[in-house]
Amino acid sequence: MDNLIQQTACSAGAEAVLSLQPSSSISLTYHSLFGSHNDLMLLELDDRLLPDILRQRITLRGQPDEDAVLCTSSKTYAVKFVGTSNSMLLIPPSEDVSRSCNNKDDGSMAVASVLKVAPGCMELVEVAPKLDELKLLLSQNPYSFGEASEMDTSDVGEKTGSDLYRWEDLVERIQASDEELKMGLQSISAVEIDGYWRILDDGYMHAILSMLLHNVILNNWSVDALDEDEVLGMLEADGFPRNIAKHCLQAYCSEVDDEGVCVSRQCKLDERRVCVCLAREILKGGKMKLEIFMQKWMRKLPDGMCASFEMLEGEILTEKLGIETWLYPFSVSSLPLTPAERFAILFQQRLKWEWKDLQPYVRDLKVPGLTSEALLLKYTRRSQPTAEAEPVFSAR
Amino acid sequence: MLIQVKCSCGERHCPEWAIVELQGTVEAQPSLQDRIQNLQIGLLCRPSSEESYTLVVGYHELTGSKQRLKKPILVLKKMEVEDDSDSKRVELDVIGVIRHKILFKTRPKALISSRPQPAAKGKISAPASSVPN
Repeated sequence: MDNLIQQTACSAGAEAVLSLQPSSSISLTYHSLFGSHNDLMLLELDDRLLPDILRQRITLRGQPDEDAVLCTSSKTYAVKFVGTSNSMLLIPPSEDVSRSCNNKDDGSMAVASVLKVAPGCMELVEVAPKLDELKLLLSQNPYSFGEASEMDTSDVGEKTGSDLYRWEDLVERIQASDEELKMGLQSISAVEIDGYWRILDDGYMHAILSMLLHNVILNNWSVDALDEDEVLGMLEADGFPRNIAKHCLQAYCSEVDDEGVCVSRQCKLDERRVCVCLAREILKGGKMKLEIFMQKWMRKLPDGMCASFEMLEGEILTEKLGIETWLYPFSVSSLPLTPAERFAILFQQRLKWEWKDLQPYVRDLKVPGLTSEALLLKYTRRSQPTAEAEPVFSAR
Repeated sequence: MLIQVKCSCGERHCPEWAIVELQGTVEAQPSLQDRIQNLQIGLLCRPSSEESYTLVVGYHELTGSKQRLKKPILVLKKMEVEDDSDSKRVELDVIGVIRHKILFKTRPKALISSRPQPAAKGKISAPASSVPN
């Protein structure tokens, strides 16, 4: 009994183990609270992530049926549990430093107590954010004309369907860091409408562009120097909510740097974005003969804009049937971001790909720690009949 | 679901924990298995000024060394926090950081000389001398 009292009185903890002096010893015992302590977990992480942890910028994200990921403000990491057959005896610091025993004269021995035997440790592996889910969630209920006119009439507050997502909802659902999530929203051209993040229905996006181009002609505006206020005022007068009109304008424009004193912002219609949008609209019905498509496309272009076929990289595929060339829409933005799923769909679409056709459909794939060459090696088989021939990629 | 990783100890004050790692498992005698709290496992010694350590468990002596971990390990504690709306939310609190471990990776050496504390049989078993009550 005396023994026990002495031991607890001299409990020294981790610091005594780590600073054990030469030619001295310490007794290793089970802690008075020794147990399985399943609420205690070990997480190994890189030194450079420590500041993020200490400033409480780190979260774990995922649905109950998903493997958890750890997110810093800008990166996503998979959490892997690595078990060990060794015994890792976990020694906490002594609870009360003043009580710890450093008095060697009383003959009692310092004690370090083991609280738990850890079965292993969690490790982090940097991964790509899981943004496919974001696209999926937001495309359940895109913002469309129907809704726009509904808003006009009444019950604005009624629109709180379960398939609408606020930022807080997205952060809970999507396994991506805040920064990656923001970039993901930007890349699918999402906009915050009444507190909810939405994507706009293709038809709606196109209608705004048509209206804009129509007014460019009507008012004799220059596509290189549009006055943002004037354009938004016009779109608003035509019944488009201002914030949505602004979002669309930004999607089709690049900003012009202000030179000197300028009262309102100028923007320039982006040739490529406008041409692609017009092409998409023409092809929304499906396949079309090349000549017919080109005719329609050219007719739709606003004055001063020049369309080139290269603009449609990653948007359409061509197919030769006899002497005719047909094209059909196949947009990289509609494909999954996970490499395995992406390549599966690509090879379902075509058994063999030439590099110039394949490249626009794989260049946006990013996997931490894997180069694009390594990705191709992993998911494709490259064949080259002769040294001069173009290499052809097929499924592995 | 979003779980916040918190650090209540604050910057630079995160208490350091220690790990003593050894191969295999430490088993107490069956008769003591349900009351091993405060039971002595063994004696950790640092015989010289080098970072070399011995751990004597019963009749066995392990030799190992102190190592700085390549990457630090955080000790996380799962907490259930009451939300404003009475629902429970899980948080992880960083309660410690581990930067060093004392690793015993060799097989135990049998001690032939008579030790003051007779230990039980078994591979590595805890002596019973310091059992409470």
